[in-house]
Amino acid sequence: MITAHRLTKTYGERTAVDGISFTVEPGRVTGFLGPNGAGKSTTMRMVLGLDRPTSGSVTVNGRRYADSPAPLREVGALLEARALHPGRSARDHLRWLAVSNGIPRARVDEVLELVGLTAVAGQRVGRFSLGMGQRLGIAAALLGDPPVVVLDEPVNGLDPEGIRWVRTLARDLAAEGRTVFVSSHLMSEMALTADHLVVIGRGRVLADCSTAEFVADHAASHVRVRSPQHDEVATLLRREGLDVAAHGGELRVRGLDPAGVGELVGRSGLLLHELTLVRSSLEDAFMTLTADSVEYAGAPR
Amino acid sequence: MTVGTHAWTRTETPAAPGPTATLRAEWVKFWTVRSTPWSLAAMFVLGAGLTTLVCALSAEALARGDVGEPVGAFVTWGIVFAQVCAVVLGALVVTGEYGTGMIRATLAATPRRGAVLAAKAAVLASTLSVAGTLTALAGYLGGNWFLDREGIGLALTDDGVLRSMLGSGLYMAGLGLFAAGVGLLVRHTAAALAIVLGLVFVVGNLVMVLPGAWGEWATKLMPGNAGSAIATPESFNPLLLDPWVGFAVFVAEVVAVLAVGAVVFGRRDA
Repeated sequence: MITAHRLTKTYGERTAVDGISFTVEPGRVTGFLGPNGAGKSTTMRMVLGLDRPTSGSVTVNGRRYADSPAPLREVGALLEARALHPGRSARDHLRWLAVSNGIPRARVDEVLELVGLTAVAGQRVGRFSLGMGQRLGIAAALLGDPPVVVLDEPVNGLDPEGIRWVRTLARDLAAEGRTVFVSSHLMSEMALTADHLVVIGRGRVLADCSTAEFVADHAASHVRVRSPQHDEVATLLRREGLDVAAHGGELRVRGLDPAGVGELVGRSGLLLHELTLVRSSLEDAFMTLTADSVEYAGAPR
Repeated sequence: MTVGTHAWTRTETPAAPGPTATLRAEWVKFWTVRSTPWSLAAMFVLGAGLTTLVCALSAEALARGDVGEPVGAFVTWGIVFAQVCAVVLGALVVTGEYGTGMIRATLAATPRRGAVLAAKAAVLASTLSVAGTLTALAGYLGGNWFLDREGIGLALTDDGVLRSMLGSGLYMAGLGLFAAGVGLLVRHTAAALAIVLGLVFVVGNLVMVLPGAWGEWATKLMPGNAGSAIATPESFNPLLLDPWVGFAVFVAEVVAVLAVGAVVFGRRDA
């Protein structure tokens, strides 16, 4: 379990993480979601004791990470970017990590096998593709067989097969009872992977709920209506108290399902060319939620 | 897919990995990058090779007595160049981790930063002191062979010869630690090398032009000058402090840089 309490990190004038509190429970995948620059990586570095919080605290299984005598056996972490020396082989990288935390040598070959890098274990990691580097980082995270696993942007640079592999791995780790904390800026990926979401923007928690709740609360839907009698249909539906917006040749109707809309129009004898339920994607929901907190927004075109 | 061996049901604290774990991990790291064997090989070739070469070329002139320099200064001649390799290796041990992001993996594995630093220093200093001594010994054996032929060879038991062999190791170790300390402060390979090599080779010689006692003392106290007297039976520069006095000054300088580096390292975000 990971517990953050009013965790804050400021760099000079800039507040990267602004008093966030959350709990990451064992047995499920918790997604840590936010746009770039939202404070995800800073938070994760504080979890691992790499950055010192300006105020507040974060503990793993009840104590600070740095107080663990063998941290790799309590928390496995994939750090953002590649925390690797390009001149060292994959096996040697895992070997020194194992030695540092008293992890048996045999475990190195086990995790290499697990992530599918056995064949290239002797190669220098500078030659690895981004995806292979991510796999090695995941191998390092699993080296100590830890009850808590922290993965910062694990699918970056992975091909679709690799993305699916990470998703399955995260779910398997949680199913085994481990605490799994995965950061991402991709809402769609988190919707498929995470049971629970902590959404942050500009260093603040915007949502902390189950993925299902988040979808129900934020993924809005409307009914798209097309009719040759556009204006009459709009007037009719408005008279029924529905929220109707005209977009070019279509009407977007909120407040009633397609069946209800169809019956209303049908009873009045008007013609319909299209009646479609449109769900806005989770990505849209996420964008809407974090719209005010995006650090580097592109200029509108 | 099974990921591990049921450790996640573990509620008790895992056993501490033993007091030498950090040291052994740093040892593995040190020897699994190619810069280590390359630097040490270059040190040996430069140190032993140049000493031998210079002795071979100057033996005759030295024997005639028309060089005006002490013979003892020649049997460790190559150490001046070999020391560059000690600086490179010392800097890389630290800056190599910052340049690649490795430092985060290191500190995630061992959050006790003091232990990490102590282990790095121990691995670096022990390796360099052995390599420096072997380099000096090989240079002495090679160079002295030519000196012996001219009848001016030095025995290992002669004044200062054995001391300069061990002293070369100590000086290399100190210089490597000095570079590592600077590396901790600047976290950048090129910057660390420029600073340390600049201090040893450029500033160390330039301060001689300072007027009077200022110039004399600045020359005596610069790290490369104070520390290197121990690495030669007899110095080319008669102004330098006595070998052990100079080395004590050098050690104090190394400790000071490392101490500042350690404080910064302990406080800084990784």
